Amino acid sequence: MPINGMTRAAHALHYYERRQEVVANNLANADTDGFKAERVFAQMVEGAIPVANTETDLTAGTLKQTGGKLDLALGGPGFFVMQTADGEQLTRGGSFQLDADGRMVDANGNAILGEGGEIVLPPGQVVIDDSGIVRVDGQEIDRLRIERVPEGTDLTHAGANLFLPDPGRESVPLADRTVRQGYVETSNVSTIESLVDMISIQRAYSAVQKTVTTLDSIRQTISNDLGKPV
Amino acid sequence: MDPSLRAAATGMRAQQLRTEVIANNLANVNTTGFKRSRAHFEDLLYQTVQGSTTIGAPDAATLPAIQVGRGTRLSAVERLHSQGPIENTGRSMDLAIEGEGFFQVRTPNDGIAYTRDGSFTMSDQGMLVTHGGYPVVPGIRIPGDATNVVISRNGIVTVQNGTSAEVTEIGRIEMARFTNPSGLLSAGENLYTETPASGQPVLGFPQEDGIGRILQGSLEGSNVQIVQEMVDMITSMRAYEINSKAIRNSEEMSDVANAMVR
Repeated sequence: MPINGMTRAAHALHYYERRQEVVANNLANADTDGFKAERVFAQMVEGAIPVANTETDLTAGTLKQTGGKLDLALGGPGFFVMQTADGEQLTRGGSFQLDADGRMVDANGNAILGEGGEIVLPPGQVVIDDSGIVRVDGQEIDRLRIERVPEGTDLTHAGANLFLPDPGRESVPLADRTVRQGYVETSNVSTIESLVDMISIQRAYSAVQKTVTTLDSIRQTISNDLGKPV
Repeated sequence: MDPSLRAAATGMRAQQLRTEVIANNLANVNTTGFKRSRAHFEDLLYQTVQGSTTIGAPDAATLPAIQVGRGTRLSAVERLHSQGPIENTGRSMDLAIEGEGFFQVRTPNDGIAYTRDGSFTMSDQGMLVTHGGYPVVPGIRIPGDATNVVISRNGIVTVQNGTSAEVTEIGRIEMARFTNPSGLLSAGENLYTETPASGQPVLGFPQEDGIGRILQGSLEGSNVQIVQEMVDMITSMRAYEINSKAIRNSEEMSDVANAMVR
């Protein structure tokens, strides 16, 4: 009896649905600054059942010049460290602003952290150099914390353009820092790749569906025709 | 397929909001003292659809947790207070601010509003008022027989009376500055009002304490750049289209699934 085939086909359908969900989320965030796309790949379980597995694609997005004094991006690997209600989290940057107390915060009011804690800026001309030193009118205020995670780490999304910190993170050496003031990193979602993905997901889904119908026909033949007296 | 439909729908909604912001910027390309806004997005919370699992024997493969995102949302519409171009008009009551700071005006409900639009005029009482009729703070009364009104870069207003060559000082324009000008609330009519996010106004005179200078006979134009807005509009349009494709794809997959049952 081809019952086994049916279960596997159901798993496969589920897998392609999952992939479609991930592609839809990537596309919805095609314009979210600092967003990192999720990739899905199948992991074969027990030989033939595909199970969806996701991984965060940490390749860099392109840097877009905005001219905003508090728009920050990183030209190389690494993350800025943010103080959130759930502890420290990582971000690739974006548009920061000053709150009423002069603290440098993101759109949700989470403060960006320097080596001395939250960064409070007095009025004046803000200049942030490559290594993350924040100066106001030439006076050094603090140095931004820039951290990186070991190669190949699968970071967990926390939403709101933040990632959960990985225990293996470490400070990026000063020489390797590439803080870019006046830039934001755009989403690394490739819309063309996503479209191609969607087509293949759809085709594969239809193909598996055909398998289900075929298996069903076979069963129909077995139960209805084979048993009939000639 | 419902989650993917909804994720793509959040994407379309986000692009629609972004286009609204762009349309407002473009509509105000000739508005004196206008500051352009920019929409910011962030990804929604992720759903852990499956925790990390071990398959078969304990030493067998362990699958990491699977997270699936649920779309995007508008996180902020930020107003960018960059300097607009200074346009020379030659009119003595047109004032532009070069640098930080806002003019203060008194609203009818006795509140204070802030503006960068310095195209002032005179009321029937001789007061310096905005085009909306709101008096500039502190009140500056220009005598009826004043001939030559001069407003210096640091805000001192002087006039000459009739044919006399004598110059009389009649007041000084006081301005306000904010820690976070993006936090001000747009009240329409080129006016802003204070909010907890903007912080308290810091009062001062032009060219003092980090406040910019006043240029008489000029106006500050809008800081909207048409080319920038056009490019943003195109990317927004494309992103909108592609999200609609994701919706169609999800829908077709549901169709296929439905066709399985005969």
